[in-house]
Amino acid sequence: MARLTRARLRRLFRRESIGVDFRSALGLVGASVKYLSFALLAPTVVAFIYSEPPWPFLGAGAISFVVGWAIERSGRHGGHLGIREGFFVVSVTWLAAAGVCALTYLLTGEDQLAHPVDAYFESMSGFTTTGASVLTDIEGLPNSVLFWRQLSQWLGGMGIIVLAIAVLPRLRVGGRQLLESEMPGPEIEQLSTRIRDTARRLWVLYIGLTLIQITILASLGWTRIDPSINLFEAVSHALTTMPTGGFSTEARSAEAFGPASQWTITIFMAIAGANFALMYRALIRRRPGLLLRDDEFKVYVGFLLAATVAVTAILLEDDIFGGEEAVRHAAFQVVSTMTTTGMASTDFNAWPLLGLVLLIGLMFIGGSAGSTAGSIKVVRHLLLGKILRRELDQTVHPEIVGRIRLNRHSVDERVLRAVSSFILLYVGLFVVGTLLLVVDANRVGLDLRLIDAVAAAATTLGNVGPGLGIAGPMGSFEPYSDFSKLVMIALMWLGRLEIIPIVVLFTRQYWRA
Amino acid sequence: MRILVVGAGQVGATIVEALHDEHDVTVVDLDPARLAALANRFDVATIEGNGASRRTLQEAGLLESDLMISCTSLDEINLIAAIFSRNLAPETSTIVRTTNEEYLEVWRERQLDVDFMVSSELETANAVSRIIGLPAARQTDVFADGQVQIVEFDVVARNEGDGIVGVPLREARIPRDSKVAGIIRGDRMIIPRGDQRIEVGDRVVIIGSPDAARTWGDSLSEETRRLDDIVIFGAGRTGRAVARALVDQGLRVRIIESDPKRAQLTAEQFPTVRVYHATGFDPEFLDRERIGQSRAAVFVMQDDAKNHYAATLAKLHGVSFTIAIVHKAASTEVFERAGIDVAINPRQVTAEEIVRFAHDPRTRQVTMLEGDRFEILDVTVRPESEYADQPFRTMPIRGALIGAIVRDGQAIFPHGDDVLRAGDRAIIFTESARATQVEKAL
Repeated sequence: MARLTRARLRRLFRRESIGVDFRSALGLVGASVKYLSFALLAPTVVAFIYSEPPWPFLGAGAISFVVGWAIERSGRHGGHLGIREGFFVVSVTWLAAAGVCALTYLLTGEDQLAHPVDAYFESMSGFTTTGASVLTDIEGLPNSVLFWRQLSQWLGGMGIIVLAIAVLPRLRVGGRQLLESEMPGPEIEQLSTRIRDTARRLWVLYIGLTLIQITILASLGWTRIDPSINLFEAVSHALTTMPTGGFSTEARSAEAFGPASQWTITIFMAIAGANFALMYRALIRRRPGLLLRDDEFKVYVGFLLAATVAVTAILLEDDIFGGEEAVRHAAFQVVSTMTTTGMASTDFNAWPLLGLVLLIGLMFIGGSAGSTAGSIKVVRHLLLGKILRRELDQTVHPEIVGRIRLNRHSVDERVLRAVSSFILLYVGLFVVGTLLLVVDANRVGLDLRLIDAVAAAATTLGNVGPGLGIAGPMGSFEPYSDFSKLVMIALMWLGRLEIIPIVVLFTRQYWRA
Repeated sequence: MRILVVGAGQVGATIVEALHDEHDVTVVDLDPARLAALANRFDVATIEGNGASRRTLQEAGLLESDLMISCTSLDEINLIAAIFSRNLAPETSTIVRTTNEEYLEVWRERQLDVDFMVSSELETANAVSRIIGLPAARQTDVFADGQVQIVEFDVVARNEGDGIVGVPLREARIPRDSKVAGIIRGDRMIIPRGDQRIEVGDRVVIIGSPDAARTWGDSLSEETRRLDDIVIFGAGRTGRAVARALVDQGLRVRIIESDPKRAQLTAEQFPTVRVYHATGFDPEFLDRERIGQSRAAVFVMQDDAKNHYAATLAKLHGVSFTIAIVHKAASTEVFERAGIDVAINPRQVTAEEIVRFAHDPRTRQVTMLEGDRFEILDVTVRPESEYADQPFRTMPIRGALIGAIVRDGQAIFPHGDDVLRAGDRAIIFTESARATQVEKAL
């Protein structure tokens, strides 16, 4: 009897079809790669302007176009694209986009990016808008390559907006789903038009803000208020501010610029870390009152201000900077770290330990949900705080019924569970990542302090960018071993996609019909 | 006046009892036994039939009636009867009893063509909130579903120098959205003008928003027990309405509900209320949550016996003031005999409200102050009134004061430049002797 059952089970298994419409999903990934190849025209133009060889971009563009087109063709059309396929598409698209980018780097023949792992690290760091770099001599690269590196973050940011606003909520991942009710319009039937519509509107905002930042930075250089910034740098840095990326065309990051530019970048980083849907309503629909009524936004600004005050105090106390400088560098580093941008206006490696621990702490906060920022995000912290408060309340008053509210709407218990498990998963991944980096550093004999390993794991998982020690804001991740780099590539990828869509792919239930 | 009453339950019977003397009353009900009981006690005509049937209504003399009151326990029957009535006899006024607050809302937005609508839940809630009241207030009443509050305060020596006492009213720091409607000084009642001063020993009558009433209470109160703790047992529709009314008064409210779904729903609806998922019959729970320390407890469960038991238990735990909602007519006496401080019968309250309207359809609510020397009227302004379209500044004061107006369901606390319009509900403070005069003038 038992044997029979097992045999029947086995037969069932063999017949069991995979529950994921794998080919349709691949088709969509192929299409994304195909469209991405057009973006390579931009660095080609830059190459022509600076009389640099354009062929790496043209070559990579051609290859990715053909490959993307081929995959799209081999994929099924009109298949079933549901939630399950969504997880696959999202996860693989980021891998593929980084692949296209890495191919470009390899084709440039630059020594710094000649190793495939390095090229892929730099690409993943770009498309996940992390900003961690393996480059050791940034200014030695041709302008066109630098521009493509900046642009990869900007394109990644565009992807993230769609991901955060339209895709992840549909996949029931991420804090934003609970604000879904605020979004006007009917459900499900017009899903695709809604996603397209929402994405288009938010892209307009994203592009608009980038253009404004370019204009401000460029005119600061133009009017000689800040003679250290030129048009190329203005464009390059605006391209990595809005996506909270953090790549710079300067070896010294934003330290190379004057106070006016640094303040400008600080403000735009802070904007980039706010919820885009909220900003769209506040700025374009002209309802600025909404900002003050949004719980997450208030906490977000509160965190930024409090951390800036604390860091300023530390800098003044240790006499590292004085007066405006202290406030500026504190604000820049705090905003840059918390919004997971990762630019630096000074080498904070030399700061006292307290300041460094504070910055690492900020890496775990992140920006608002629905922004291009990574990490845990403010809304989850806000909800976790409320969950804990309710737990404490119920310890004393077991019968109390506590409903947790956000923006005056009561939050579904399933969402609260998801928030708690996300944070657990996030912290778990961080610990595992740190462990792997430490073990691997021991293996290859790399001199890695604990705090450096902690910072490296936190900065890649949170898509921040710079770490501490060798990989500090003015340093590079180049000395890490290939294995460590692969670990960090995985962390960037997982962190960017809010962990769950990727982890789900590795469960058996996902593939079953 | 000829009045047609649809429904001979508790509400209907109470209405008939109040109205049969002065009016010709016809009662419609499906249950012949109920009709017989009514006909035995009062001189009324009875028709056996469905109130939602056109034929029955016509048979009962709807066309000749001046007023149709539908007060069965079924909202939909009541509404259909009102709709038929409006179509068949457009001149007949209609009063509808409802248990659904949504219908009330729709009616207030003028989407339901009914002259008056009474919700048992809301009337009960208002009755409870009147009893619990404001800490410093001697007497309070609410109008326009709690949007307008009338409060009487005694001014004591402690209140001197706070910008209200001893200062001409036009310079006094009167809370926003409120008006001093009257000053009672000894035997005299003063309808105040801008140069009048409030003095120690006066009693003042304030008309204002609930917020303003609270501010008044805070500044005139001798005690500072503002965060009074009221516990409500039961979170059904009535329980929630009571909670809403008390929360609107700024009281600290706790609710105990045994049904988990309902407890969740209530917690969702009231962010500031502590909701417990528990029964009110568990002494250990009552003890642990210090229910005995609350100032008052309101029992709003479905079952009279349960309310009775829980209220007695709460008394044992030290609750000093208990209010119970009773459903059976006979229960009121039982409860009060048993030591429960106040028993409120929602049907009774509803019937009283309907009767008040039936007396003069334009006057919705009358409150007596100081015995019956002063009245607060809630009158709808006629288009022909000499006061319609007049700004308040130019209105002569004749022993009366308009404290608030309700326009499209919204309370307005008028200033000199505001204009009184036809259709507004004016809430007026006046001497009882002038009440009829005032009613006529509007």
